[in-house]
Amino acid sequence: MKGPVYLNEKTGVVVIGATGREASQVIRESETLYPGIVKAGVTPGKGGSTELPVPVFDTLSQSLQDPKIGNSINTALIYVPPVSVLDAVMECLDGGIKVIYVITEHVPIRDSEIIYQEKVRRGAVIVGGTSLGCFVPSVGRIGAIGGKDPSIAFKAGGLVIISKSGGLTVTTAEMFRRRGWGTYCALAIGGDIISNTTYADVLAELKDDPNVKGVVMLGEPGGSYEEQAAEMIQAGGFNKPVAAFISGRFQERMPEGVAFGHAGAIVERGMGKASDKIARLEVAGKNHPVKVAFYYHELVSAIESLGVPRDFEDSVTDHVKPLYSTIS
Amino acid sequence: MKLYEHEALESIYKKYKIPSPRFVFATEPNDKVREFVEKEPAVVIKSMVLVGKRGKAGAVKVVSDKVQAIDVFKDLASREVYGEKSIGALVAEKLDIKKEFYLSVTYSTKDRAPAIIFSEHGGMDVEDINPSLIHTHVVKDVRSVYPYQIRNFLVEIGFSDSDLLRPLSELIVNVYNAFWQTEARLLEINPLVVAQVADKKKLVAADAVVLLDDDASVSPAVRYGARGGMGRPLTQREQDAILIDQGDHRGKAGSYVELDGDVALMTFGGGGSTVTAETAIEAGLRIANLTDIGGNPPAEKMYKIARIILSKPGLKAVLVCGGTASNTRIDVTLGEGLAKALDDMKAEGKLNPDLVWVVRRSGPEYVKGLRMLHECFVRNGIRGEIYDSQLPITEAPLRLRELMIKHIAYKPEDIA
Repeated sequence: MKGPVYLNEKTGVVVIGATGREASQVIRESETLYPGIVKAGVTPGKGGSTELPVPVFDTLSQSLQDPKIGNSINTALIYVPPVSVLDAVMECLDGGIKVIYVITEHVPIRDSEIIYQEKVRRGAVIVGGTSLGCFVPSVGRIGAIGGKDPSIAFKAGGLVIISKSGGLTVTTAEMFRRRGWGTYCALAIGGDIISNTTYADVLAELKDDPNVKGVVMLGEPGGSYEEQAAEMIQAGGFNKPVAAFISGRFQERMPEGVAFGHAGAIVERGMGKASDKIARLEVAGKNHPVKVAFYYHELVSAIESLGVPRDFEDSVTDHVKPLYSTIS
Repeated sequence: MKLYEHEALESIYKKYKIPSPRFVFATEPNDKVREFVEKEPAVVIKSMVLVGKRGKAGAVKVVSDKVQAIDVFKDLASREVYGEKSIGALVAEKLDIKKEFYLSVTYSTKDRAPAIIFSEHGGMDVEDINPSLIHTHVVKDVRSVYPYQIRNFLVEIGFSDSDLLRPLSELIVNVYNAFWQTEARLLEINPLVVAQVADKKKLVAADAVVLLDDDASVSPAVRYGARGGMGRPLTQREQDAILIDQGDHRGKAGSYVELDGDVALMTFGGGGSTVTAETAIEAGLRIANLTDIGGNPPAEKMYKIARIILSKPGLKAVLVCGGTASNTRIDVTLGEGLAKALDDMKAEGKLNPDLVWVVRRSGPEYVKGLRMLHECFVRNGIRGEIYDSQLPITEAPLRLRELMIKHIAYKPEDIA
C-alpha cells in the first residue's frame, strides 16, 4: 500500500465542520490539487447543501450510510470550534473511524485528556489538536498544509518531517526541497500539552517503512515528548537517521518567574526545558544516528552528515542574494 | 493564567473545601486588616504578586508586634518583587506548624494524564527536594477518583502518619476535583502543613499556586481579567496590541510582548516567530519585542501592529520574517498594511531613517507583495534587504546582524 497509516492510497476523508470558512476553503483547494481524497462533509443543519465539491450531511452517521461513499470513509478531519471538538471526536470514534485529525486550536486541556483516554481505549490514531494536517507527496494531503501551491515545499522523497508547529512543517519541507531532499511524509502533530500523536508514536509507526530514509524532528519547550523520542531511539526502537531542532532555548534567559514554562516541567523534573531536550537527544546521538542542529537552518547539514541521500539535484547551492536591496 | 494567592483562596479553595488559614487581602492597611491583626497573636504577611519564590525575595514576613505588622503590611502591599509590583498584601493567621508536605496536581506528558504529586518533605522549592522523596500517582480514569485510591497510594509510598491517612486522602481528592473542575493546568500547595490546633493535628494549605487553562471552556480572562504572561502589568503598547484583535476574528495581529532590546521583530506564525526570535538572540541581537502574526489578517490589522512595533524608542533595526505562508496574503500584509504604516509614519515625521531592515517572506502573492514593499522602501528612503524563501528562514537574523555591524557599527551581545 502506498503511504503510511496517516495518509495512504486507501484514505477517504470526511470533514467535520465542513462548511466553515477555513474548512470549505481547504476542501475546495484539496479537491483541486488531489481530487478524490475528501469524500464528504458534515455540518449539522447543512445536510444536502451543494456549496462544496463533496456531498454534505447533517450527521456523520448519514455520511457513513451513504450507499455511494459510505464505505470509502475511514478518516476524519475536524474543524469545529474548540468547545465542540470533544463531541466531534466522540462522534467519529463511535462511528468506527480509526484515523482522526483535530485541526482546531485551543482545545480545552481537560477535553484533550478525555479524548486521549478514549483514543487509547479504542485503539484509534488521532493527530492533534492544533494539527495542520499531513502531506504525503506520493498520495496527496489532508488539511491546509502547503496551502494553494504545495509544490514549492513538497516533492516526493525520503524524509519524514514531524513538527509541533504547522507552519514550520512546510517551511522545513521547502528548505530541504530547495537543497535536494524530498518528503515521504510530513506530519504536523500540534503543540498541545496532551498530544494524541507524539514523535515517539510516529517513529514507532514508521520504523519498518522502507520509504523512510531519514527523519527531521522539530521540537519546542514544554512537556516531554521530545525526550520520549530520544529514549525510544536510545532503547533501539528506531534506527534510521534523525536530525532534530528544538526551539525555545531563549525562553530560559527570560526573567525569573516568567510564565513560559509548561506545568509538565514540574512533573518530570529537569524535563520540559529546551536545553534539557537537546541534551537528552545528544545523549541518544552518542550511539545512534541522531544530530541536533544548533541553528534551525543547520538541519540541512545535519541530514547530509547523517548520510541521508539526496532525492534530486540541488536547486540552491550558492549564497542567496536578496531580491531587492536598498542598502550598499 | 496564573491566579493571585487570594483569588485562589477565595474562588477555589473555599468552594472545594481545601482548608486554608484565616486571611484578609487588601491593597492598603484598612480597618479589616487592623481588626485582623488585633485578633491574631501573630500573622504572616505576603506580597500579592504572580512571580514565585516570594520568600527568598523577602516578600513573606512573620510578625507578632501589632504596630510593626501595619508597617510591614504597607511595605509588602506596595513593593516590587523581582520587578513585579504587588497589587496588595495578604495577612493570614500564623500556624503552629508541625510538618510541611508538598502537594500538586498537574498534567504529566509522560503519562498523558493528570498526576498527583506528593512529598512529605515540602516547604522548600520542589526542585530542591530529593527526587526519591517525591511520589506520583497517575490518574488513569479522570472521571472517577476516590479517597481509597489515594490511601492505597499513600500506604504504598510508606506515608508515616496513619492518623492523617483519611483526612489527607480526602483533601487530595478535593484538590484533584478542584484541578479537574476548574480546568486548571496546575494546582500546587507548598507547603501543605500539619498544624497543631488546640489538641488536634489539622491539615492546612499554607500557599496556593493555581494555573488555569487559558483555553478552558470558560476563559479565565472573563472571570479574572486579562493578564500578561510576563509577571508584570501590561505596557501601553501591549494593551494597544490586544485591542487590534478584539471583535475582529480575521487573522491575528495583536500579539506583542515588549522587551528591552533595540531590534524590532515583525514575525509571522507560531513556529516561525519562535525560531526567528531564537536565532536573533543566539546571534547576539537584543530583541525589542516578541510577536506572532498569522491567519491572514487584513491590511488594517497589520498597519496597527506595525505602528505599535515601530513606536518603541531606541530601535536600531527591524526584522520582518516569516516562512512560506499557506494562507496569509503577502501583498495585503506587507504590500498594503506595513507599507501604509511606513508611508504614514514618514509623513508624520515618526519614521527613523537610520533603521536597518531585513525582510524574509513568502506565501500567497509574495512576488507582488515584496515588490510593493520594496517600492515603499525606495520612496521613503528605507535601508535594507528583501528576500523570499530561497533564504532559509533563520539565516535572515544572521543577515541582519551582518548589515548592522557593517552599517551602524552594532556590537552584538556575547551570548556564549
